[in-house]
Amino acid sequence: MKITVPHCGQMDIFINALCRRIGPEFIIPPKTSPRTLDLGIKYSPESTCLPFKFILGNFIEALEKGADTICMISDHGPCRVGMYDIVMQNILTEMGYRFNWITMDNNQILRSHLLIFVREQRKRGVSPLDALRALLFSWKKMKVCEEMERLTHKTRPYEVNRGETTRVYGECLRLIDGVANLRELKIAREDALSRLASIEQDRTRHPLKMLITGEGYMVINPHANQDIERRLGEMGVEVTRTMWFTSQIAHATRLDHFKKRSKSKAIRASKRYLPHNIGGECNASIGYAILYAREGYDGVIQLLPFGCILESVAKNILRTVSRDYDIPILTFSLTENLSETTITTRLSAFVDLIQRKIKGKGK
Amino acid sequence: MSLRIGIPRALLYYRYFPLWNTFFRELGGQVVVSRPSTRRVLEEGFKYADDDVCIPIKMIFGHVLSIKDKVDYLFVPRFLSDSKRGYCCPMLAGLPEMIKYSVPELPPMLSPFVDERYRGTRLSKALSKVGRKLKVGPLRIRRAYAKARGQHDQFQRLMRDGGSIPVLINAFEANGCFPEKPMAEKREDESLKIGVVGHPYSLHDSLFNFDLFRRLKEAKASIYTQERVHLRIIDYHLQGLKKDIYWTLGREILGAAFHLLDSKVVDGLIYVTCFSCGIDSMIEPLVGFRAKGTASPYMALMIDEHTGIGGLVTRLEAFLDTVRRRKFNTDDGHRKSWA
Repeated sequence: MKITVPHCGQMDIFINALCRRIGPEFIIPPKTSPRTLDLGIKYSPESTCLPFKFILGNFIEALEKGADTICMISDHGPCRVGMYDIVMQNILTEMGYRFNWITMDNNQILRSHLLIFVREQRKRGVSPLDALRALLFSWKKMKVCEEMERLTHKTRPYEVNRGETTRVYGECLRLIDGVANLRELKIAREDALSRLASIEQDRTRHPLKMLITGEGYMVINPHANQDIERRLGEMGVEVTRTMWFTSQIAHATRLDHFKKRSKSKAIRASKRYLPHNIGGECNASIGYAILYAREGYDGVIQLLPFGCILESVAKNILRTVSRDYDIPILTFSLTENLSETTITTRLSAFVDLIQRKIKGKGK
Repeated sequence: MSLRIGIPRALLYYRYFPLWNTFFRELGGQVVVSRPSTRRVLEEGFKYADDDVCIPIKMIFGHVLSIKDKVDYLFVPRFLSDSKRGYCCPMLAGLPEMIKYSVPELPPMLSPFVDERYRGTRLSKALSKVGRKLKVGPLRIRRAYAKARGQHDQFQRLMRDGGSIPVLINAFEANGCFPEKPMAEKREDESLKIGVVGHPYSLHDSLFNFDLFRRLKEAKASIYTQERVHLRIIDYHLQGLKKDIYWTLGREILGAAFHLLDSKVVDGLIYVTCFSCGIDSMIEPLVGFRAKGTASPYMALMIDEHTGIGGLVTRLEAFLDTVRRRKFNTDDGHRKSWA
């Protein structure tokens, strides 16, 4: 059994850590590249959303690499993601691939997947305790990765040599990825933090604070949003984003109840504008914009794949939020044809606008 | 009470109008329905609606704009789910807000929250909340709803029997009751049977689909829409899927399309879809794969703001030609050449 999963943020590190400890063999698809997207566009129905195309591209490349089992999350909500598995299975079968498909949705986890998991473990002689330990270790690794990423968001606007943070961050990720146990992880973390801290910084700058919110896949994946965090950072903006791998899992397992900026808090905050939770990230996008506007952020960027049925509701409502809270909100409706220049131009215009707005207030 | 309650002629109007109309009339209100869609209504909608949404949503913006000054209340319900296990398109759940925050100078809106999955938010409860808001006594609300439900059931029965929805609804709007004989007389010369599936608001809005039904009739085809397929048949045909289709409308479309393709009730199938419809973008490929499997003629008509009538007519004619050629040359030699 060679399992593959789509790329989603730094999930490959999580999966690597897990399968090195307890197996089974994972085949991580090659890094998402223009070829991935081209493959995805070629074989997917034209009006599906952008994440579908990326994920299908990932799967095709993974199958080319020799994977034989595909693992994909699913849902029973109103969002399209719940239908991905059945449409993708049809497409890949049509293309002539042979594979097993594991759908992970909340209805089936207990019924079948846990059983398969346990059986597979027994075959390889992994005890449940080992499995739990490995899971915790991978989780911690993921947490460290995200801690570092948060730190880069804070460092990047201050860096003197443009691009240094990104380079150091890449090194740190490799460092973390190579770690094999908890003790080493601790040392690697210290090392990585000190490396990030030693980046030459100009602390006299006053960076803007901006929030990136919107549809999950678009927010998490730099390849999908054209590296918007790095671009903003290099324009001298401190970004925060609402969506993290661990925070999503924590929300799904209801572990984030007492966090200050949890998703459930955001959903509650959105009630004034959208009185019912209509599913997906729609309510959270609105809620986060409100929460961060109250905290004094300077701007909000909403990312959505073109035609996203949930986020376009949020997009409509965010216009009013922007007026009520006096916070500029920029919406990117991303398609596969969006060029780099469009992104940079619109971003720099937006940053310019906010700076001018702040200056006007100062007077 | 003689309040004027405005119902835009778009979206779920094509499914629930008899129910809503009877309900509000029984409460003593006056129902104002917007005029049938025209190009101008749609263009007004474009101005106010967001550019990311699909055309039916833009259409309802236009309809709201055209009646907002003539009514005391605007009825735009918020449908999260309209069956026990299904969802509606999430845009319908956010629709009242989209309209509220985009269209200026609106009359007060009646937007009951409907979620059929739970007892407290069923359509009956949601509508009785509306009744209470209009200051009508509970007994009267109850009676009104019972009568409205009766009309709705009759409407559904007539649809199953093959009544055309625009005809039924128009007659209902004019007279307050359904016509005695809703079925069109079967004409002798109708030689083709064409199945047409799609969301009701894209099928029955004749502006939206460029009078597709009339064109099919003129080409001597009889039409089967998904409304004629019984829910049990739909359930039966979806058993083979590993997945429960969670959009109520999507589920009906898919099941009906499978039925029409598998049982060879029709000679060809047309799927009417609109650009950037999230549900269709997932359901349509599944129908397409099944059509490929059963080797029946199948066409997906995607309609957007720029669709020209010429292109549509050409495609339709070509499609009908294919269907005709397949149907009337059924000797083995031709079959082989097609397969």
